[in-house]
Amino acid sequence: MDNVASLMHGFSVALTTHHILLMMAGVLLGILVGVLPGLGAPNGVSLLLPLTFSMDPVSAIILLTSLYWGALFGGSTTSILFNIPGEPSSVATTFDGHPMAKQGRATEALSFAFLSAGFGAMAGVILITLLSGWVAKFALKFSSPEYFAVYFMTFASFIGLGGASPLKAIVSMGVGFALASIGMDSVSGNVRLTFEFDALLGGVSFLIAVIGLFGIGELIITMEEGLKFEGVQAKVRISDVLRTAAKLPRYWVALLRSSLIGIWMGITPGGPTAASFMSYAMAKRTSRNPAKFGKGEPEGVIAPETADHAAGSSAMLPMLALGIPGSATAAVMMGGLMIWGLNPGPTLFTDRPDFVWGLIASMYLGNVVAVIVVLATVPLFASILRIPFAIIGPIIVAICFIGAFTVASKSFDIWLALAFGVVGYLFKKLDYPIAPLVLAMVIGDKAEDAFRQSMIFSQGSLSIFWSNALVSTLMAIGVVLLLLPLVGMIAQRLRGRTAQSTV
Amino acid sequence: MITRFWAESATAVATMAFGLIIVYGALEFGIGWDSSGPQPGAFPFYTGLLVALASLGTLALTIGRRIAGNAGLQESFLDAERFKRVASFFLPLLAFVVLSVTLGMYVATILYLVFAMRFQGGYGWLPSLATAFGAAAFFYLALEKFFQIGLLKGPLEPLLGL
Repeated sequence: MDNVASLMHGFSVALTTHHILLMMAGVLLGILVGVLPGLGAPNGVSLLLPLTFSMDPVSAIILLTSLYWGALFGGSTTSILFNIPGEPSSVATTFDGHPMAKQGRATEALSFAFLSAGFGAMAGVILITLLSGWVAKFALKFSSPEYFAVYFMTFASFIGLGGASPLKAIVSMGVGFALASIGMDSVSGNVRLTFEFDALLGGVSFLIAVIGLFGIGELIITMEEGLKFEGVQAKVRISDVLRTAAKLPRYWVALLRSSLIGIWMGITPGGPTAASFMSYAMAKRTSRNPAKFGKGEPEGVIAPETADHAAGSSAMLPMLALGIPGSATAAVMMGGLMIWGLNPGPTLFTDRPDFVWGLIASMYLGNVVAVIVVLATVPLFASILRIPFAIIGPIIVAICFIGAFTVASKSFDIWLALAFGVVGYLFKKLDYPIAPLVLAMVIGDKAEDAFRQSMIFSQGSLSIFWSNALVSTLMAIGVVLLLLPLVGMIAQRLRGRTAQSTV
Repeated sequence: MITRFWAESATAVATMAFGLIIVYGALEFGIGWDSSGPQPGAFPFYTGLLVALASLGTLALTIGRRIAGNAGLQESFLDAERFKRVASFFLPLLAFVVLSVTLGMYVATILYLVFAMRFQGGYGWLPSLATAFGAAAFFYLALEKFFQIGLLKGPLEPLLGL
């Protein structure tokens, strides 16, 4: 019951007027970021991060996590009203959410989406409350080889489970690691890979990469497709919300199943996007009338939304307890923690319990605040989308570049953001996954340190990664994950061949 | 028209070049073993090599698929109309970056917003100027006054006493 006591202490940290106001501000900014095309959760957090450098870490993380919740909600709003997912993770919500809105059930769809999202997020946060202390205690036993094995496992699961071409995932990840190693080498003190350019001495910040890859790249794609918003009007009345809320318990099976899927995908770095799709597919497969899906079935809104938010919040567990982010946004936040001088990982629980438990308590409060705020402001944000893109687009461009400059006040970073924008555009169009690149940039130094220290322990022998049960298990899981695409390919070949022979 | 085949191949060649540059850069710092463990170049060397090999794999796969007659690769990656839309967005973006570095970010923001609204969005001078100056004033108050973060300034701001 340690955790409950710690949580109560956390509430005493989080429950101040200042923090509640920060949550509301964060959620409002987050909804804005989630609603606007080209700005998403990872990039919203990146833009806001430089402004928090002077804040106290607890307040700063509350602001950033609230922005994250808000962005997740904002993404669902545009999915339902405009059939345009504001976030990749809310694509699955458009399948049934928009048909519902077109049938005049927009309020119902929005209420279902927000309430089930709140449920999913709560499930994730409860899991964090119960497990994080235990995971952190377990992880205290880790030394360098185990850490390297966990990093290996993380990237192996991106390559094996990511759904994109494994080779492209490797390229994306490797580029991230290479970029992370530019600049000062933390072990030897050498300055590496700057090729005599002074601007590269300080390294390449992952924040610039996120702003370019997710922000500017996304905007170029949006412009190329000639985006038009044709929305459904929505007014949210309290009575309608309550009526929908009363219907929600009927869908308890979907809620529970989707929460479990979301939690699993959040802890393993599958991420919210994969979770929402998987949950939608599961709901459709297990439904008694799958034909209704895609035509405005409430379960088709509840399933992806619950899983999306469950994954989003439980992605914070590996970030806090192990120092491994479960999603691109969590990666950016983890980078933020390191900039604030905190060391994410098991020692954070013993060194800064007020921070950890304040954050966890703020997740409970932040999600409640988010559901209320988002229900109250749907008409406002829907009207923002009616501003023509010819005005909004250039303003977002200016915000992205200004954000890139504020990271380190270097004009070189503006050029770098532009370059990352072009890379993001190409990568997105050619189905290169971007999240591994960001993750590799954030944990690149840590992974390299873990590898080098392991090598020093073992005098250069790779056998150290198989030297005890724990590290061997972790490495074995990683190898299995890596081999999954190969197994899938062979299975497909064999099935193709038997199919041919029977014909 | 650029087909997907050329876009895939060009990107794979570019990432391969990136990987090889990293490999080359890492060689300078030693990729072997010294008294303090692996030399500083070792980790970047192998990641660069991995990038280059995986890119080579993508390239080989793409070419192999083309020889096998995969229809997806013949699809359009960027046609004339789309190219025009991308260019009309990207070129002002490039101009914005150049102006930011030379004239400062506030001036660049105003010029860029006025250009985009007046000449690309088809708005009148008044709403364009009002939006541009409004946005710049908002950034100024929010960043310089509230968060105390200075943006890149050019030769014009001192003349205004900012």
